[in-house]
Amino acid sequence: MFVTAASFKKTFRRDWRDWITFVLFAGPNLLLFVIFTYYPLIRNFLLSFQEYNPIIDKGEWVGFNNYVDILIQDTQMTRIMQNTLVFTVSVVALILVLGLLTALLLNQKLRFRNGVRSMLFSPAVLAGSAVAVIWLYIFDYRFGLFFQVLKYFGINSPKWLLDPQWAMISLIIVYVWKNLGYATVIYIAGLQAIPADLYEAARVDGAGAWQRFRNVTLPGLSPVTFFLGVTSVLNSFQSFEIINVLTRGGPVNATNVLVYRLYEQGFTEIQNYGRASVVATLLFVIMFILTLIQLRAIERRVSYA
Amino acid sequence: MKTITRRNLLKGIGIGAGAAALAACAAPTAMPPAKPAEPAKPADAKPAAPAVVNNPGSAVTIVHWGFSGGNLEKREKELATKFNDSQKDVKVDIQVQGSYEETANKLTASLAAKQAPDIVLLSDVWWFKFARAKALLALNDAVAGEKGIDANDFVPSLWNEGLVKGAQHWIPFARSTPLFYYNKTMFKEAGIDKVPDTWQGLVDLAPKLVKKDGDNIKVSLFSHPDGASYIAWLFQCVAWQFGGGYSDAKLTKYELLNPDTIRAGQFYADSVNKGKWAVLSKDPQKDFISGLTATTIMSTGSLGGVVTDAKFDVGTAFLPMEKQFGCCTGGSGLAIPVTTPKEKVQAAMKYIAYATGNDGGAFWAQNSGYMPVRKSTADTQNYKDFFAKNPQFKTAVDQLPKTRPQDAARNYVPGGDNIIGKGLERIIVGKENVEAVWKDITAQLEKEGEPVKKDIAALLG
Repeated sequence: MFVTAASFKKTFRRDWRDWITFVLFAGPNLLLFVIFTYYPLIRNFLLSFQEYNPIIDKGEWVGFNNYVDILIQDTQMTRIMQNTLVFTVSVVALILVLGLLTALLLNQKLRFRNGVRSMLFSPAVLAGSAVAVIWLYIFDYRFGLFFQVLKYFGINSPKWLLDPQWAMISLIIVYVWKNLGYATVIYIAGLQAIPADLYEAARVDGAGAWQRFRNVTLPGLSPVTFFLGVTSVLNSFQSFEIINVLTRGGPVNATNVLVYRLYEQGFTEIQNYGRASVVATLLFVIMFILTLIQLRAIERRVSYA
Repeated sequence: MKTITRRNLLKGIGIGAGAAALAACAAPTAMPPAKPAEPAKPADAKPAAPAVVNNPGSAVTIVHWGFSGGNLEKREKELATKFNDSQKDVKVDIQVQGSYEETANKLTASLAAKQAPDIVLLSDVWWFKFARAKALLALNDAVAGEKGIDANDFVPSLWNEGLVKGAQHWIPFARSTPLFYYNKTMFKEAGIDKVPDTWQGLVDLAPKLVKKDGDNIKVSLFSHPDGASYIAWLFQCVAWQFGGGYSDAKLTKYELLNPDTIRAGQFYADSVNKGKWAVLSKDPQKDFISGLTATTIMSTGSLGGVVTDAKFDVGTAFLPMEKQFGCCTGGSGLAIPVTTPKEKVQAAMKYIAYATGNDGGAFWAQNSGYMPVRKSTADTQNYKDFFAKNPQFKTAVDQLPKTRPQDAARNYVPGGDNIIGKGLERIIVGKENVEAVWKDITAQLEKEGEPVKKDIAALLG
């Protein structure tokens, strides 16, 4: 690629105009990204190698010390990774399956359908911490709503948030309840986008209800499922407010997940920004890899037909 | 039958919302007729205006980050209003930032942004972090200054806790101690006329006070907070009562593996798992107020709210003993960040003098439950009358001389409260071996405490 001075000038002049247009259109947006996303990302990465005192805004480079602290010496880390995995897999699976089932149900011509749809969707627009405060009452094992209902059936209420065995289940219930409506609405939209003639053709070919679902509905919904899968996984990794209000990661770290560990290390009285940044970096890497896998491996099976 | 269409539904929602909005508008207009006799004094509406005009720009406004939520926020704002009305030079503006933790985190950010408040409320486990980073002003000159305060009038143990190299950095304000609360009505109904002064005496009351529904405890004898709610603060006293503790003052020796601290840990675990007379609760204060527990130990700072909210007779007593009596101080104090300009420091001191003094301080202590921090306050007639009417508050003040400052492991090790609290959860909820847990916790405290050890020795008495 050899460029003469003259041709360079010419190219540059044309490019110069293109550049102006580009900067005018993309610039403001890009600037926001740089300030609020890329800069913090890089700063966070640098912080993870520092012993940083936020009060005087001074850091000391300490190499991989923080990584050793979090990844090797922290005896609770295995537990936290397990919790994160259990939480993410459970809520994503439940949201996708239950979301699809409710969408199928609400796609029928039922009475009060729209009312039910709005009711189901409403938790999704509520603030997580407000929702969690209400659930604190529902879960109280001595006078809460669940206690009353179980008592009616003669069942002893578990101690929900205070029992390490049940605390994670409680969190999953609240998270799924809150986010189910969103998945349902997206699925309903997906269902309505499947051309009716496909079903007709399937019927003419003698396909039963299950076969129609298996061969028309499911493939037709695959783009929606893919979208919901990616966003649900990413969202579940960031679910903080519900945990902070309901359990604060306890009891005995039973509900401590990565994002809560980040908060604990950085913003409780531990106030260790370096270690918090390690957790943040870890979270970023995991989410990045998962998204890559989803984009590369799973998207191939999605039919956009 | 009419079916619900999308339009109908939206219409319905719209009507509902409209009605709500109308109701909101209607409320204030509905009020005045109740008080019809006051149109004759329009001049009353702005009495403050001339005063402000007479002294243009003379009032210094002090931004004060204070308590958040409930009784304490309400009372602190009333305190500031009383102060603002009492003089014209200084105007205090209380701003609510959240819990102790949230306030401290926002202070961190605000210091970097040079937007820090003029006065900030910092808790026992937070203030030293800022003092150590030289982010708090040494107040000796301001204390001695023209608008200052008489240091000798403060309860010495409380005052001395805020000294860094002999200079005051953290003035006692909302200082508390743990206090034993009991439901007097419940005690009376069970025929108990004497409040036990030992743990064994308390345990013996279990058959009379614990109410069960099958295996479930409906009403417990005692309620522990969970690890997230300062259980390590309260357990510290129990460890002392058993003869153990967390650490010495200089972090040279940790006391968790002291057989007595192990015994205390086992006692806590057994109270829930074996004797089943205590429960672990998300909110012991709520439990107590709603009659779900007969007794509990909470901060004196909860007393004001508890007495107001409880529908039964609230009793208070000294903490139960075991080998000995043990009770620590706690709560929060007021500090002035280094970013506060000089001319505002004296104004801030004027407020601090008022808020801790015999007038404002008494109002604050009586309505919150925090300790009167000045020696002279409890001797005023106002206070004697108050004690006569509210004996529960007197217990707390009587207990104060028997208290001592907390172990450094909880107060000064970064995350110390959290580390010990999680250990207690492992013991009580996780049912792990006490000694093994304390061993693990000691190792964590040693590691986290190492960087602050030198500063503690150099800075704190």
